[in-house]
Amino acid sequence: MTEGAGEAVPAVRVRGLWKRFGEQVAVAGIDLELPAGRFIGLVGPNGAGKTTTLSMVTGLLRPDQGTVEVVGHDVWRDPVQVKARIGVLPEGLRLFERLSGRELLAYTGRLRGLHGAEVDKRATQLLDVLDLAGAQHKLVVDYSTGMRKKIGLACALLHNPEVLFLDEPFEGVDPVSAQTIRGVLERYTGSGATVVFSSHVMELVESLCDWVAVMAAGRIRAHGPLAEVRGGAPSLQQAFLELVGAHGRTAGADLDWLGGGAAR
Amino acid sequence: MSSNAGVSAVSITPVVVRLKLSLLRNGLRQSAGRRAAYVTSVVLVLLFAALQLLGLIALRGNAHATAVAVLLVAVLALGWAVMPLFFPSGDETLDPTRLVMLPLRPRPLVRALLAASLVGIGPVFTLCLLIGSVISVAHGAAAYVTAVVAVVVALLVCVALARAVAAANIRLLSSRKGRDLAVLSGLVIAIGAQLVNFGAQRLGSAGGLSKLDPVADVLRWLPPASAIGAVDSVSEGSYGVGIAQLVLAVATLVGLLALWSRHLTRLMTSPDGSTVQAAEPAARERGSSGLGRLLPSGRTGTVMERSLRYVWRDPKTKAAWVTSLAIGLIVPVFNALQGTGSIYFACFAAGMLGIQMYNQFGQDTSAFWIVAMTISSTRDAYVELRGRALALLVITLPYATLVTVLTTAMLGDWPKLPEVLGLSFALLGAMLATGAWSSARFPYSIPQEGYKNVAPGQTGLAWISIFGGMVSAALLAAPVIALTIWGNVTADGDEWTWLLLPLGAGYGALITVLGLRLAAPRTARRLPEILAAVSKG
Repeated sequence: MTEGAGEAVPAVRVRGLWKRFGEQVAVAGIDLELPAGRFIGLVGPNGAGKTTTLSMVTGLLRPDQGTVEVVGHDVWRDPVQVKARIGVLPEGLRLFERLSGRELLAYTGRLRGLHGAEVDKRATQLLDVLDLAGAQHKLVVDYSTGMRKKIGLACALLHNPEVLFLDEPFEGVDPVSAQTIRGVLERYTGSGATVVFSSHVMELVESLCDWVAVMAAGRIRAHGPLAEVRGGAPSLQQAFLELVGAHGRTAGADLDWLGGGAAR
Repeated sequence: MSSNAGVSAVSITPVVVRLKLSLLRNGLRQSAGRRAAYVTSVVLVLLFAALQLLGLIALRGNAHATAVAVLLVAVLALGWAVMPLFFPSGDETLDPTRLVMLPLRPRPLVRALLAASLVGIGPVFTLCLLIGSVISVAHGAAAYVTAVVAVVVALLVCVALARAVAAANIRLLSSRKGRDLAVLSGLVIAIGAQLVNFGAQRLGSAGGLSKLDPVADVLRWLPPASAIGAVDSVSEGSYGVGIAQLVLAVATLVGLLALWSRHLTRLMTSPDGSTVQAAEPAARERGSSGLGRLLPSGRTGTVMERSLRYVWRDPKTKAAWVTSLAIGLIVPVFNALQGTGSIYFACFAAGMLGIQMYNQFGQDTSAFWIVAMTISSTRDAYVELRGRALALLVITLPYATLVTVLTTAMLGDWPKLPEVLGLSFALLGAMLATGAWSSARFPYSIPQEGYKNVAPGQTGLAWISIFGGMVSAALLAAPVIALTIWGNVTADGDEWTWLLLPLGAGYGALITVLGLRLAAPRTARRLPEILAAVSKG
């Protein structure tokens, strides 16, 4: 599979991916190829299966069926190759919160097998760029949501991965931190790396990504370059609502009493 | 005293007392389980108080009655002082910052809160005990009069003490550090119970109550126990001493009230804890800790450093460790002190600390994903587990050795030292081996909030993990145990028992390595399953 030129190998290739939790089907047979070197958005409403999919792609959750390859290497059969090449920022999982920000970076970097001096150098730079230098000696347990996302991102970037998976990296993040994260990610993809991130904020995906995959109810509804998926719709938001079949649901006549002007 | 004209002539004391009663009632209304728990605890406390009362009355006339009464009251006061630190959420009126928006003056507020504090099971229990104490020591009319004053003063000192401590530490108690502290409360009770148990046993044996007298001689001057001391002094006709002791208690009460009032005023006129904490600059200076430089490089040292930091910084891990350390010391040493102990009890230290190897990944909580992302081979898993075992050994080896030597010294049985040490090391090795394996096979979540150590639905898993593991550990250590028994039973065995030290240590090291080797492939294969199992907290 790696015999072709580097360009041809997709960042992620997913075949027939399934996951059930008891009765509920979280991911219902996904086939997907994500091109390398792009800023890729995985969008969908809450409960669409984004987190489950990303967990399976990154090896944190075992799929019931299907295969996942990252940069040509099977996630489950060749973890040595895959884990060295990816960075992950999961949603809903803790960090080692009783370490300070700097200690967490030092710990993660060294677990990744980087040299101590190199880890410290990179940590200092990441802390500076992400505006965490002032809080680097505070325990992560005392960090705000935005600061946690940023330190998580720093941990994910520390070993300079080829593909970065971010689950809802902007959820609960203030505009200033969001802009900082954005800047770092744009610089990172600019150098040829791949970012895959999930979100349900369409405006954000539209302004950041050049490639999107739309998920709903455990399936991929559309995928491709942003312009292609958007098609004739005025915005990704509109295209998305049509794709997931929510366009008819405009709250209208029922609430005709609601609004200013009228006496009661 | 509050002669300021206008605002309101109505005292706020009844209002606050009623508030306290409403809070109590509404708390009970929330759930039947809570109501049942409350009623049960009330019944138990009252029963206990009644028994105490009867016991104290029975002591009346006994030569050591004063010693017992004074000691009880001193312990009670200590309890009141410590209580708010470990059960900060118990009483909402205890948190004066909730009243901060109301136009209240400190003096009436202190009076009202003090009155409200007298409502509850704790004060009733205290009152029973105090009454019992004075009954056991008071003789004569003058003493009875003193007793009435003494009970009131002692009760107020207890309550004021609790309030003053709470007010002085409210910033701590409403912060993350305070909540961390609360996790340790179960531990304080466990160790306290051990100490009380030991104390009771000592009193029951041999010399009995007379051993208390020297302690009581000091405590009878320490408020609020000095109030009880006063009753005793008056009973014996030393009125001067009695008055001095009573004055001391009253002065303490006044001092505590003043202290409380000052803290209260400051609390209610300055920004609350959260604001202050957020604005605080990072206090600690930078630079890697000395710890890191002492540890081996690579993954081993990294894992060890994180594990050791967690022993100190993570409240759950810390509580587990302190419990193990304390019980591992208390059981052998106290048994030796009582003279009934066997030197083999020293193995308790190794056994208790070995338990910390169990459920290693559960201790990580869902942060285990960070570890999982960096384990891509059996080798990685092996180094990870070995690092954790080594971190444990850094504390356990010296500690188990120390406890063994200490126990031996107390029993004076030096020839037995090598074999007991050998046995300890073999047991520790067996615990590490089974701990590593069951960490991989039976991981379970440890909830980070509250007192529970197992997530709902995983209790069975936890029992299998710990008790199955301990039985297996005992079986694994069986060869060394058998050798020890053989050495002691055989005629010339004693000459060879020293061999058990190198044998036990070697055996322990060997099975630890084997256990890690067995656990590593399982860990590497089951990473997603382990992550799922430990993420339920």
